[in-house]
Amino acid sequence: MAGRGEMDCEMKNLSDQHVNVDTFRKLVRSYLDLHQYNAALFWADKAVTLSGDDPKDVYWLAQCMFYLKQYHRAVHLIRSKELDKTHPLCHYLTVKSLLAASCYSDALQLLTMVENDNSLSRTTRNTSIDSMGDGMMFADCPANLQSSILFLKGQVLEAMDNRELAADCYRQALRCDVFCYEAFEALIQHHMLSSWEEMELLDSIPYTEQCSSPAEATFLRQLYETKLNKYQGPPQQLLEMKSVKFQGQYPETPVLGSAASPSGSVFKSKLALDVSQSSTDSHKSAPCLDDSQPNLVIKLIPNNLDVIVSKAERLFYNCKFQSCLKLTEEVLKKDPYHSSCLCVHIGCLVELDKSNQLFYLAHRLVDLHPEMAISWFAVGCYYYIIGKSDPARRYLTKATVLDRLFGPAWLAFGHSFAAENEHDQAMSAYFKASQLMKGCHLPLLYIGLECGLTNSCKLADKFFLQAQNIAPQDPFVMHELGVIAFQNREYERAEKHFEDALKLVRSIDDSIAEKWEPLLNNLGHVSRKRCKFQTALEYHQQALVLRPLNPSTFSAMGYTHAMMGNTLEAVDCFHKALGLRRDDTFSTTMLTYVIEQLVDDTEPFEGAPDKMPPFRSKKVSTSRAHRIISYDDQNPDDASMNIDEEAGSTPPPMSDTANVSELANVTAGSSALSFEVEMHDSSSQTLDKDST
Amino acid sequence: MSDITFKFDLKQIKTEIQSAIIECSHRGLLHSTKWLAEMNIALKDVDINPAETTSPQSTCSLQGEDADLYTLAKTYFDLKELDRCAFYTEKSTSPKTRFLHLYSRYLSGERKKLHDMTDSTLPPDPTQNSSLRELSAELRVEYKDGKLDAYCLYLYGVVLKRLELVRDAQNILVEAIQKEPLHWGAWLELAALVSDQGSAPLTDIPNHWMKQFFLAHMYLEQQMNEAALEIYYLLQQNGFEKSSYITAQTAIASHNRREVDSAIATFRHLHKEDPYRLDNLDVYSNLLYVKELRVELSQLAHHVCEVDKYRVETCCVIGNYYSLRSEHQKAVLYFQRALKLNPQYLSAWTLMGHEFMEMKNTNAAIQSYRQAIEVNRRDYRAWYGLGQTYEILKMPYYCLHYYKQAQQLRPNDSRMLIALGETYEKLDKIQDALKCYFKARSVGDIEGIALLKMAKLYDKLQESENASAAYIEYVTDNESSQAGEKSEVSQAYKYLANYYIKRNMFDEAYQYAHKCLDYEDTREEGKALLKAVAQTRSQTDRELMVGNITMSC
Repeated sequence: MAGRGEMDCEMKNLSDQHVNVDTFRKLVRSYLDLHQYNAALFWADKAVTLSGDDPKDVYWLAQCMFYLKQYHRAVHLIRSKELDKTHPLCHYLTVKSLLAASCYSDALQLLTMVENDNSLSRTTRNTSIDSMGDGMMFADCPANLQSSILFLKGQVLEAMDNRELAADCYRQALRCDVFCYEAFEALIQHHMLSSWEEMELLDSIPYTEQCSSPAEATFLRQLYETKLNKYQGPPQQLLEMKSVKFQGQYPETPVLGSAASPSGSVFKSKLALDVSQSSTDSHKSAPCLDDSQPNLVIKLIPNNLDVIVSKAERLFYNCKFQSCLKLTEEVLKKDPYHSSCLCVHIGCLVELDKSNQLFYLAHRLVDLHPEMAISWFAVGCYYYIIGKSDPARRYLTKATVLDRLFGPAWLAFGHSFAAENEHDQAMSAYFKASQLMKGCHLPLLYIGLECGLTNSCKLADKFFLQAQNIAPQDPFVMHELGVIAFQNREYERAEKHFEDALKLVRSIDDSIAEKWEPLLNNLGHVSRKRCKFQTALEYHQQALVLRPLNPSTFSAMGYTHAMMGNTLEAVDCFHKALGLRRDDTFSTTMLTYVIEQLVDDTEPFEGAPDKMPPFRSKKVSTSRAHRIISYDDQNPDDASMNIDEEAGSTPPPMSDTANVSELANVTAGSSALSFEVEMHDSSSQTLDKDST
Repeated sequence: MSDITFKFDLKQIKTEIQSAIIECSHRGLLHSTKWLAEMNIALKDVDINPAETTSPQSTCSLQGEDADLYTLAKTYFDLKELDRCAFYTEKSTSPKTRFLHLYSRYLSGERKKLHDMTDSTLPPDPTQNSSLRELSAELRVEYKDGKLDAYCLYLYGVVLKRLELVRDAQNILVEAIQKEPLHWGAWLELAALVSDQGSAPLTDIPNHWMKQFFLAHMYLEQQMNEAALEIYYLLQQNGFEKSSYITAQTAIASHNRREVDSAIATFRHLHKEDPYRLDNLDVYSNLLYVKELRVELSQLAHHVCEVDKYRVETCCVIGNYYSLRSEHQKAVLYFQRALKLNPQYLSAWTLMGHEFMEMKNTNAAIQSYRQAIEVNRRDYRAWYGLGQTYEILKMPYYCLHYYKQAQQLRPNDSRMLIALGETYEKLDKIQDALKCYFKARSVGDIEGIALLKMAKLYDKLQESENASAAYIEYVTDNESSQAGEKSEVSQAYKYLANYYIKRNMFDEAYQYAHKCLDYEDTREEGKALLKAVAQTRSQTDRELMVGNITMSC
């Protein structure tokens, strides 16, 4: 009896002492919410033991370990319970922990193993969640787990430097779940895709299937669109409410891509341009979700910081640094550490040479976020603009160490070498950047520039063409192509490139940004080479409007005038050029030459007679003659003009052609020199176009 | 110019001026306000009905917050806290505050440039103009949208002008004037541009009474002094006789015409009427300098120094004073001070160039002259100075170019022509040189050496007929005045004596040889010549006699 009584008692005790696991589970959640991970861990552990290794509890326990950065412990826990291949959430967490613990190959192994297992048991990808749930009695895992796993795989692959496959995974993830912004960001952030690939992606995302309403689909697409394609194409869409008008023009890249991507012929540029000209028409028929709708993004969340940052970025790429800076300042006022904005902001500060502001910003960032690459990037940029390359490089390296994929730092690293004419080192930095940012044409553009500066025009041309492949609508590339053609003395081609670039720049905005002054000057140079002197002068004049008081523009104008035989104007221009830059050898030589020619060209004074009039003494002469002289006194010009007309001679035509060609020969060397200077200008202008 | 009709309705003018004064002063356009106020006081005898004035309207246009903001901004502006003024007015849209915003930004940029100036022989670097460029880009956008009022247009024009975009600046200024013809500042800027370009766009200018002031001012700039004077006289006859501005302008015109005495008289009169007026006194000091009126200049220098030490005019007067006392170092110092105060001050640049020339510092002289030309391309003295400097540096081609520029600006000034001729002579272009001298003589030779130069050239060309004729004229010119250089005159006599001996015209030869005796350096030669004359004469006489004898035989 006693034994039975004991049993009863025990039973009673048990039910008395029965603890509800659910309370612990709740405790775990609440402590996790409050970020008290150790407490959560303690209770989760107890829950696991209590519930007898319930997978759900194991998952939470592992989660706690993950939060506590005990990645290996988490992996071990899940593995020891053998949940890593059967339970989707645990599977996900295992991979995530492995990734966090930098065990990439293990993570990949696990991923592929599970994938293979599952692919055997299911027919299509889309139903994978159901099939997995069938096997594993778990129905309440989040719907977007599938895409998260794919995204994770992408991350693992990317960490293993397998970028192609990684991009593929990201894309799949995005297709599984259109809201998986992280995958989208991973795709665009590191410039993995070229512009037409980006557009393809944008078109391939199944918005309509997964969104609840068409409006939402449109909203989503436009939201993504704001993030894309910043280098090219008329960007007004975001800046104006009348975006509908531009919509037809905007998604022109798919067509362009198909035209420009397959073949690598030299005349591709021409092809691409032809397409771009007709793209407006061709796209009327192209499927476009939002052709008929106003831009929802602008309408609904015009003040969202992300949208403003995209706007700013676009302004940045269109060289409107002032207005860009205004926007970024606004954003940073609301959110001082908005990371994507910071990048644009730093770029702007570099462009506008605001070293003081950059100094302050960099200091603040380093104090607060020494672990972020962008903080050190800011420091490096500061040293770069104050012209101290060594520290600049040191800090930029630090940024790249913190984040190997941080492209802007690599570019700036290259710039710091380029600024000191260390072409090879600059090139290697750019090469590194180009490996990291496959979809970005800037590294290629810079490599080309460096090649051009080291006089390997062929190579430069090749790189520019590659850059153009990626971004067929970037006027910077066209401009540089033109410069190379100019150096190769293919003036016709150069002119075409320059004109194309100008056309594009004009299509962006009627008022050309100041950055484009070299383009106009180069157009002037090339027009002069093609003997279109008047056009050349007009281009130079336009360049002066953009950047007044530029001595090289003045000497170019003087040179053109000299070729036209306008000696007086030439003298004037060279004088102005020398007034602005005193040690300009080209202008000095030219001025001496022209001023000597001027003496032969012009009469001693205005209205001077052709022949020396006979001398008549006042005293000896008759009173009539005296009167003539006194008449002379009052109106000397008229009198001598008459003499001139009587002589009936016209001044000889200015400097014959032989003379001009001789002139050109004489100064060929120095003109190349001046062009070199021009080149420097152009290189420095593209130099700071940091990608973000 | 007589076709200009002066039908002024003085009453209306006065009303217009008064409302313009308010507009300008509200916008901080001090110089225009001053000019208009002077005009207003010149018309003090004209009565206007106070009820007719429409001025208060504009002040009422600002209301509430705008008005408060404006008051704040104007206060900062007046206190020269320009950046602060610009900051507070950044978002404002009302025209006056907007103008204050832009204007204070412009002024602040200019002031910073001035402060950053390290070396006073150099102007601020014109390529360091990022603030100007920013401003012009902003104004360009607003201009395209048609948002600029007359005053902002004026500012846009000024900015463009500072960026050397002359053509655009001109168009914009004309537009500004069309919208607000009473803004004298805009007219002034336009005049500076037009005089650079020749008188092209005058057709677009509204036919306002202000146009007369503008035209006269422009003519004066372009050295068309007679035309300017004509307009000024007409203006004086038509109600503006009390304007000190016009009086000063007429004085400058006579200065340009080298009527030194009358110019001095006018200035003296002006100085008595308005003793604390410093404007244009530098021109007065130039005149005193030319006349070498030491006492007057000294008195003037001390007086202006007492009135305001730190005015460009004061510095120029003192500089001239020191220059007259041959203390060139000190003179340069004062001109530099003037330029520190205003690097755009033309005459200081030119005068400093002259001082450097005196000190044989050609490099600095060239610098200064060039700057003068940068400021105003119509400054013939600077061009001439450049020519002289390059002459010293033995660069005749450059020299010729500069003299030519100077001559174009003063077509009837013999000094440029002579200089041109001399340069041509150096380049062995005798014919061109002759042409220059000939023209110099025909426009009235100031220095009286054209003839001599011509004579020498004719001699060189062995055109002894012409040479002798020229010498004769030169000699007769100088006989009366006695001012010509002694050696030159004596050489002329020597040449003539030789010439006549060759021609066997002994009476003339004797006469000129005798004249040679009057001069130190040709006395001996004169004696020899006399002897030669006597000898050849006796010889020819003997021959003649022999001839006679044979004849009689």
